[in-house]
Amino acid sequence: METSFAITGKGYVIVASDTTAARSIVKMKTDEDKIKVVSPHLLMSYSGEPGDTLQFAEYVERNLRLFHIRNNYSLRPSAAASWIRRSLAQSLRSRKPYSVNLMLGGFDVTADTPHLYWIDYLGTMTEVPFGAHGYGSYFALSLLDRYHDPEATLEEGLVTLKRCIDEVAKRLVVSPGKYKIKVVDKDGAREIEM
Amino acid sequence: MNSIANRFSTTGPISELRKAQFHVEDDEFADSVWGSEAGFGSLAKGVPNFTVPSVSDPSAFLRLHTDDFADPNCRIKIQHGTTTLAFRFQGGVIVAVDSRATAGSYVASGTVKKVIEINPYLLGTMAGGAADCQYWETYLGIHCRLHELRNRERISVSAASKYLSNLVYSYKGMGLSMGTMICGWDKTGPAVFYVDSDGTRLKGDMFSVGSGSTFAYGVLDQGYRWDLTDEEAQELGRRSIYAAGHRDAFSGNTCNLYHVKEDGWKFIGNYDISKLHYDGPGETPGAGYGYGVRIERNSAAAAATSITVQA
Amino acid sequence: MSIMEYNGGSVIAMVGKDCVAIASDLRLGNQALGISSNFQKIFPVTDRIYLGLPGLATDVTTLRETFRYRVNMYTIKEEREIEPETFAHLVSSTLYERRFGPYFIEPVMAGLSKSATSGFKPFIAATDLIGCLNFAKDFVVAGTASSKLYGVAEGLWEPDLEPDQLFETISQTMLNAVDRDAYSGWGVVVHVIEKDKVTTRTLKGRMD
Repeated sequence: METSFAITGKGYVIVASDTTAARSIVKMKTDEDKIKVVSPHLLMSYSGEPGDTLQFAEYVERNLRLFHIRNNYSLRPSAAASWIRRSLAQSLRSRKPYSVNLMLGGFDVTADTPHLYWIDYLGTMTEVPFGAHGYGSYFALSLLDRYHDPEATLEEGLVTLKRCIDEVAKRLVVSPGKYKIKVVDKDGAREIEM
Repeated sequence: MNSIANRFSTTGPISELRKAQFHVEDDEFADSVWGSEAGFGSLAKGVPNFTVPSVSDPSAFLRLHTDDFADPNCRIKIQHGTTTLAFRFQGGVIVAVDSRATAGSYVASGTVKKVIEINPYLLGTMAGGAADCQYWETYLGIHCRLHELRNRERISVSAASKYLSNLVYSYKGMGLSMGTMICGWDKTGPAVFYVDSDGTRLKGDMFSVGSGSTFAYGVLDQGYRWDLTDEEAQELGRRSIYAAGHRDAFSGNTCNLYHVKEDGWKFIGNYDISKLHYDGPGETPGAGYGYGVRIERNSAAAAATSITVQA
Repeated sequence: MSIMEYNGGSVIAMVGKDCVAIASDLRLGNQALGISSNFQKIFPVTDRIYLGLPGLATDVTTLRETFRYRVNMYTIKEEREIEPETFAHLVSSTLYERRFGPYFIEPVMAGLSKSATSGFKPFIAATDLIGCLNFAKDFVVAGTASSKLYGVAEGLWEPDLEPDQLFETISQTMLNAVDRDAYSGWGVVVHVIEKDKVTTRTLKGRMD
C-alpha cells in the first residue's frame, strides 16, 4: 500500500514516499517518483487514486509556476498550502473530485523556517512537525512521537526517517519496497539516496 | 442453501446449539442457576452449556444485534477498542495493557482490568469481547488448577494456551470475539502465546493486540532488545502503551503493567496515561513522554547549555 | 462511519453576567487516528464575536475563510462592525445556501451585542448543519461530545456567573465532557469575552 512520511528538522523538511505504482494486485512499476518539486522551495508528495494523483500534482505545479511568471516571486509555503487546500476542497464538491492525499514540505526563505503541511483528499489541512499518509502512518506516528526532534541535523533526521521505513517494512503486510527521499532547505530541493 | 442444510444436519455447531437449547430446559432450575457456583456450575456436567436464542440460526441472530460496524444503531454494543502488549526478554515477560472501554464513541469506562490473573504464574490479556475474555480465561484458570491437582505439576504455558485455543475453536463462527496473549513462566522459561477466537495460536517473543496495537508496535520494535534490563523493559512496555493511548482514540486512560519472572507474576503498577504524557512515571513535572513535553524539555536544556557557553 | 464523526471535535458556548465564553477541544483526527493536537475550531469574527465550527475539518477551514470574506465585505459596505444577531443570520443563510449539499458543520457563536442603553448584552447561538438557528439563554453545544457536554453543563451552569467563575464552569464542563468522548480532546482552548477584553487560555487536558 502507498505510504509517505515527512519530517521537519533544523532548517529543512524531508519528504519520503514509496515508489510503487500498483494496479489491482500487480506492482506495475517499482521506481515511480511520487514527490514533485512544485516550486523552488516546495516539495509535494502525492498518493491516492491513480490518475488523479499526477493530474492534480501537475495542475498545482503549473499554477504555482504561472504565479511565479506573473509576479516574479513564488508563493510562500503557507500561501501555497492554502491555495492547494482550497483547490482540493472545491474539487470535493464537484462532479468528479480529485482523490489525492498530500504532504507539503517547504522552506520559507523570507522567514528562514521550514514548514510541513498534512493535507488529505477532503481538503483537511493542518501544519505538523511530522506527518504520514497511508497505512504506514499507523506505525510511524507513534514512532515519531518518540524519536522526532525538530532541532535535529539532516543526518539525524535521516536516521529517524530510516526507523520509520524499517518499522513499516517489518510490520506492514503490504509494505512497499523502495522509497524516494527528497529534502528541501534554504538551498532549494534535492533528492537524497539512502 | 448452506443454512438450510445446517438446520437439518445432526452434526456441526447449529445442531450442537439445538441440542443445547433442548438441554437447557431440564437444567433450568438446577442449583447452578442460583449463582452459588458463579456461572461455572455447569462444569459438573463436564462442558459448559449456554442458553441460546430460540431461532433457527442463533449466531446470525446475535450478529444482527451486536455488529455495530454494519449497523451503528444496533441494540447491543459489544465493547471493543484496546491496546494490549506482551513481550519476552532476558528478565522474563512484560505484560502491559490500557484500561479504556468504549461503546461507539462513548468512553464507557476508564478503569477496566484487561489483564486476567489466571493463576500466580499465568496472565491472560483481554482484547475484543470483554465478557468472552473474562469468562473463558477464568474457565481456563479452573482447568489449569485441575491439571495441577491431577498431575502434581503446573501446567505449561503452551498447554494452557492450547487448551484455550481448542476451546474457542469449538465455538468458531458463533460470534465469540477475543484476541488474547497467554503469558507465564514454566519449565521452559518465559513464554508468550497469542490466541484468538479464529483459532489462531502463535508462540512468539512479542505481540500486541487491539486497535492501538500498530502504535504500540512502532515504539516497541524500535526499543526492543533481548538483553533489556528489568527497568528498561518495564519502561518500554509503559511507553508503548502510552504511545497507543495517545494516538488511538479507542485506547487510553491508564496503563496496567505486569512483570512475570521465575517465581510468578508481579503487578508493577497502574499509570495514568495523561500523567505519563506530562510528567512520566515518576513524580517530576515536565519529565513526560509527550512529544510537545519532550521538545520543550530539549529546548530548555539547549537554552541552559547556551547560557553556560556564554558564561 | 458518520461524516460528522470523521474528524471529531466539540464546541460549547455559555452565557455569564455581562460576559460570554466559548470553548473547544484541539483534536484533529482521522476517525480513531489522532493527526494534530493543535487544530483550532474557534475563530474571532470581530473583537466581540467568536465563532466555533465543529464538524468536518475541511469545511471548518472553508467556512472560516467564507465568513472572514463575508464579514469583511459587510464591514466595508456598512462602515461598521457586524452585530452578533446579524452575524448569526449571516451564518444561517450561508449554510442554507448549501441546503442540498451541506457543509458538515454545526456552528456555535458567542458574542456581546450593543444594547440600546449603551451597555453590552451577552449573546450565544448555534445552528444545525443547514442553518436552523437556536438562540439559547444559558449554553449551546455541538460536536461529537455534544451529548456529554449537555449532561455536564446542565449540572454545572448557573445564571449570572462572573467572568472568572464562567471560565471555571466552561473549562470544567469541556474537560470532563471530552474525557468521555473518544473523538474529542487532546487539549482545550477557552475564550472569555467581556466588554473591553477577550481572555484566551489553553488548558492542559488529557492527551489520550
